[in-house]
Amino acid sequence: MVETFTPAVCGGRVRKHLAAAGFTLGAVGAAALVGGLLGLAGFLAGWRWAVVAAAALALAGALRELGLLRLPLPQVRRQVPDRWRAELPLPVWSVGYGAGLGVGFFTFQPVATFWVACAAAVALARPLPAAGCFALYGVGRALTVLWPKRDAARACERLASRRPALLRANAIALVVCAGLLAASPAVAAQRIPVGTGFDPSVSGTALARAQVVSGAPRVVVEPAGEPPVALDGVKQPSLDGELVALKDPDGIRVSNWRTGEVVAQVPGTVSRPALDWPLLAFVRADGLWKQLVLRDLAAGTERVAATLVRTNDIGRPSLADGRLAWHLVTRSETRIVVLNLASWKRRIVARSRIAVLIHPALSADRVLWIDQRSRMGFVRMRTLSSRRARTETLWTANGRDRLFWTTALAGRTAYVTRWSPATGDSTLLRLDL
Amino acid sequence: MRRPDEVLDGAAQALSARLAAGLTRRSFLGRMGGAILAVTGGATVAAALKPEEAEAFHFCGHIWTTGSCPSPLGIPRIDSHGYPLRAQDGRPIDNLGRLVDAEGYPVDEAGQRLLGPDGDPLERAPRTRLCEDWVPERFEIEARTQGAWYRCCNGQIRKLVDCCSPSRRRINGDASLVGYCWKGRRVFCVMYYDSGLPC
Repeated sequence: MVETFTPAVCGGRVRKHLAAAGFTLGAVGAAALVGGLLGLAGFLAGWRWAVVAAAALALAGALRELGLLRLPLPQVRRQVPDRWRAELPLPVWSVGYGAGLGVGFFTFQPVATFWVACAAAVALARPLPAAGCFALYGVGRALTVLWPKRDAARACERLASRRPALLRANAIALVVCAGLLAASPAVAAQRIPVGTGFDPSVSGTALARAQVVSGAPRVVVEPAGEPPVALDGVKQPSLDGELVALKDPDGIRVSNWRTGEVVAQVPGTVSRPALDWPLLAFVRADGLWKQLVLRDLAAGTERVAATLVRTNDIGRPSLADGRLAWHLVTRSETRIVVLNLASWKRRIVARSRIAVLIHPALSADRVLWIDQRSRMGFVRMRTLSSRRARTETLWTANGRDRLFWTTALAGRTAYVTRWSPATGDSTLLRLDL
Repeated sequence: MRRPDEVLDGAAQALSARLAAGLTRRSFLGRMGGAILAVTGGATVAAALKPEEAEAFHFCGHIWTTGSCPSPLGIPRIDSHGYPLRAQDGRPIDNLGRLVDAEGYPVDEAGQRLLGPDGDPLERAPRTRLCEDWVPERFEIEARTQGAWYRCCNGQIRKLVDCCSPSRRRINGDASLVGYCWKGRRVFCVMYYDSGLPC
């Protein structure tokens, strides 16, 4: 194919440069597209162990290059269609050649590196960076055409004659990659302590938490890069932009945490607010019953999402992106329930007659909750886009000294409370998913 | 030729029959459990049984090899309905292993409600039966309490209860035994109930 990009074949030096430029554009563009799609697939799938899988594949690839492991590579051993050069205009065939090789799947694969790069792009789970990394693959393809100033075909043959050394060098590179991937913080789902408190709520870059100071409740709102704002005498925060819903002695109030302006109030025996303006979910205790209520603060309407006897527990609801989640704990079972506000259809995403499933938190497409057992606790998560999605375990904690409590979730960041039943002390931790 | 476990099972059955003074394996006491024991059988069984320190596999009275049913604190002590109790004193516990009051709220040793990190009393957790609830969820098999046998442990009559299922594998991971199960079921795991009747 490289013999194609010569002045003789292209019909002049200028046309050769044009063809090379077209080839480069096609190779880089197609490679970037593949990388972006792989990164997007990883983001949507959210496979936590994709990094480990990529590291394992890199190691397997290294063993293959050294001849220690027989590992066939998926590939299509085809040349670029020669007739395109005869039938199509130069800009079209040159870009087409570049795209065909830039994609990577439709050509001979002498080493395993391309497939390791694909696995790493999925593990990266970020489309733009993955596209940028894969674009370099396209640049590499383009260099085979651009770099040899004279006889490109001969240059390729000389490179091919050094295959054993190339394989050894590639094996070393893959081992280094495997080590870097395995040591990646993503493998450990990094847990970062962010101080004392409980009942986390996150909106954008701001975090709110509840604390008990000298027996008195308070809420602290911490916007990124700004001084924290402390609100005394209130608890159970639910943050939504510059608004925060809080439980106070009179009921629930929604206020601007920067200015203190109160924008809405719900008096009575109500608690556990969840705010996604103008919607507010809360628990109302009504004699023998508890109700989970969803109120539209702008329209002044409300609807009851769940009713249960007073002795059962409905927990702290979570409200986000058109869904409402809550836990239900009775003497015989526990459930995590997600309600679609548009269809008003509820789905039980987890249930157990053994474990205590509590404190769900919603993001745009995921739900996270605590699975507490007698000697172990788990932080679980699953996507909501598919009913077949598997439940992931983000964190397993052994022992009874510290238990999981309330949670918050936004994008790929989760906050989890751990507390000590013996002392009542609690700590918030951030999980970067 | 009989398999070793069948030989052992047969010997155990014979021993049980002798000790129970003529009662058959699928005994009246085995089916009627604690109610009959409490009303009429206590004295009879106590008289038939010789006070003995039964050799224990992993708790007193359990001389076979089937493992314990899953339980909140690891030792499968139950009440007469199959709900978990704390082994050392028989106080009711929930699925998290916490002491609970009559309404099921978690309490401390003194009976005071436990508080959460926010200072509010903790809500109730489920309290479910070890055989009928825990075993099916954890092992994805159907199970129910069936047969039992009795031993004298710590001066009182202990009822050792088979949690029986159609599974041919027991909780140990190997082949299950018929034990005191019936209608085609086999012993999946064992639990015990302390009657408090002296022996």
